Amino acid sequence: MKTYIGAENIISPLGTTAKDNFNLIKNGQTGIKLFKKIGFGKVDVYLSKINETSPNNFFYFLLKQCLTSIIKDVNPEIIKSQDTIVLISTTKADIIENLKSPIIKPIQQLKKKFNLHHSPIVISNACISGVLAINVANNLIQSGKYKHAFVIGADVISDFVLYGFQSLFAISNEPCQPFDKNRKGITLGEGAGGVLVSNDSTVFESPCFEFVEGTSSNDANHISGPSRTGEGLFRTVSKTLKLASIKPHEIDFISAHGTGTSFNDEMESIAFDRLGMNEIPLNSLKGYFGHTLGASGLIETAICLQSMRNNVLIKSRGFEKIGTTKALNILTKNKDTEVNTILKTASGFGGCNASLIIRKL
Amino acid sequence: MTNYITTYCHILSNECWINGEQIALPNANEDITKTLYNHLELDYPKFFKMDRLTKIAFLGVELIKKENTEVLTYKDDEIALLFSNAKSSAETDLNFQSTYQNGGVPSPALFVYTLPNILLGEIAIRNKWYGESVFTISENFDANFFSNYCSVLLNKSEKAVLCGWININNENVETFLFFVEKKDLKQLHLHLNSEQLLELFHTKIKKNG
Repeated sequence: MKTYIGAENIISPLGTTAKDNFNLIKNGQTGIKLFKKIGFGKVDVYLSKINETSPNNFFYFLLKQCLTSIIKDVNPEIIKSQDTIVLISTTKADIIENLKSPIIKPIQQLKKKFNLHHSPIVISNACISGVLAINVANNLIQSGKYKHAFVIGADVISDFVLYGFQSLFAISNEPCQPFDKNRKGITLGEGAGGVLVSNDSTVFESPCFEFVEGTSSNDANHISGPSRTGEGLFRTVSKTLKLASIKPHEIDFISAHGTGTSFNDEMESIAFDRLGMNEIPLNSLKGYFGHTLGASGLIETAICLQSMRNNVLIKSRGFEKIGTTKALNILTKNKDTEVNTILKTASGFGGCNASLIIRKL
Repeated sequence: MTNYITTYCHILSNECWINGEQIALPNANEDITKTLYNHLELDYPKFFKMDRLTKIAFLGVELIKKENTEVLTYKDDEIALLFSNAKSSAETDLNFQSTYQNGGVPSPALFVYTLPNILLGEIAIRNKWYGESVFTISENFDANFFSNYCSVLLNKSEKAVLCGWININNENVETFLFFVEKKDLKQLHLHLNSEQLLELFHTKIKKNG
């Protein structure tokens, strides 16, 4: 039995549909801009932020909008079905307004609003949450437990998260430059992304894709620093390729994590080198959306689907000169090419790594 | 082959059980994490920099390993970790927030524990486990999801799953860890299913507690 994926949505400072977001980044636009005196110590910080000040209940609003958009692109009946599950990917959820219990209330609201048969399942695994949530959706569908899974990820920019990354000296004082020689750290972003994962290709309004396989692996090395050998990323990609019976050379494109920190990007280059995949065209989308944490895996997978629909690979914004010890084939300009099979990866705090493969039907 | 719950433990605010048998702890008034660390005779300096949520998860895994030494016979990528709670990392989130709200500076040492899946990382580091790991958040212990997703993982590439529910709310600690293995056993053990999980869970943790 195949699993299908499609009906992608993205909400970012650039727009509220995957198509709009794709067209704008294809034209070189970014959601990142300078915000004055917003960081700890009243410093100026580059962010990909939707509003100057977040409206009330913004986390719930993002989830609701994203889910509403996906429903418009599929058979609208399935949302209420007992065969349908909603998976939510987030790191800090509604931390701005409800620090003591940031997740349960928005989830209850969502269940009520959409008349969901089951309570949504929340995946909270740092920066791999989005990719992992899609993998969990596929696993649940393959097991026969559910037929359809709406997977939506969202995170909002908060003082909490911004100050935290500042305390780690991980925030770049320029828009982030993943994999570049001059990269100085991350740029935070906010937004939402979502897809439908289903065992039935007929519920999608537009053509869908085959979700081939996805796995995760821990580095077992350090909680806030990536492995020097890229062990977890190496293992998850190896495992995904093996379970999918796909050889590295069959992958047309890698949508990497590429945060723009020195250690993360270096680790990814080592892992892809060990995998023999460093000649495959690769990008990081963080230069357009910032690092949207729990939303990133979904936003970036949605862009992958758009790349496959349009047969255009997007250049890695902020990249000029390779800054990792292992060579990578980083896209320095958009490329018109047949995109049949893609690999999406993510890595995060807690030493977690995840990967997934999607291909055209 | 059938999926069995082969070992389980409960840790509450000042009591602890393994496979339903209470562990005699010397000092009921002392912090349970300190008591258990001493009881297990651990020598792991990294333990002391962990937050309370992580410490409790870590100790639960150590209790299970001590009771079921077969845990250590699995290869480094054969055990998946599946953990869950209702409050994410709320206790540490509040502590981190207070570092910068009262005129101080944000603490990086606290910030890195403001994600619930960090405890999965600490368990992986301690045991050199490279398997699948998933952290979920739900209002209550979701026996259905645990049962379903364990079966999914065991049908895929994992050989065993170490699961845990760890919720801390002020002084109230609710911990239930269990180890699920694929076994070909004739004698009756505890089968993995949601009814069995709920029954075991509630032997020590009250409903709506």
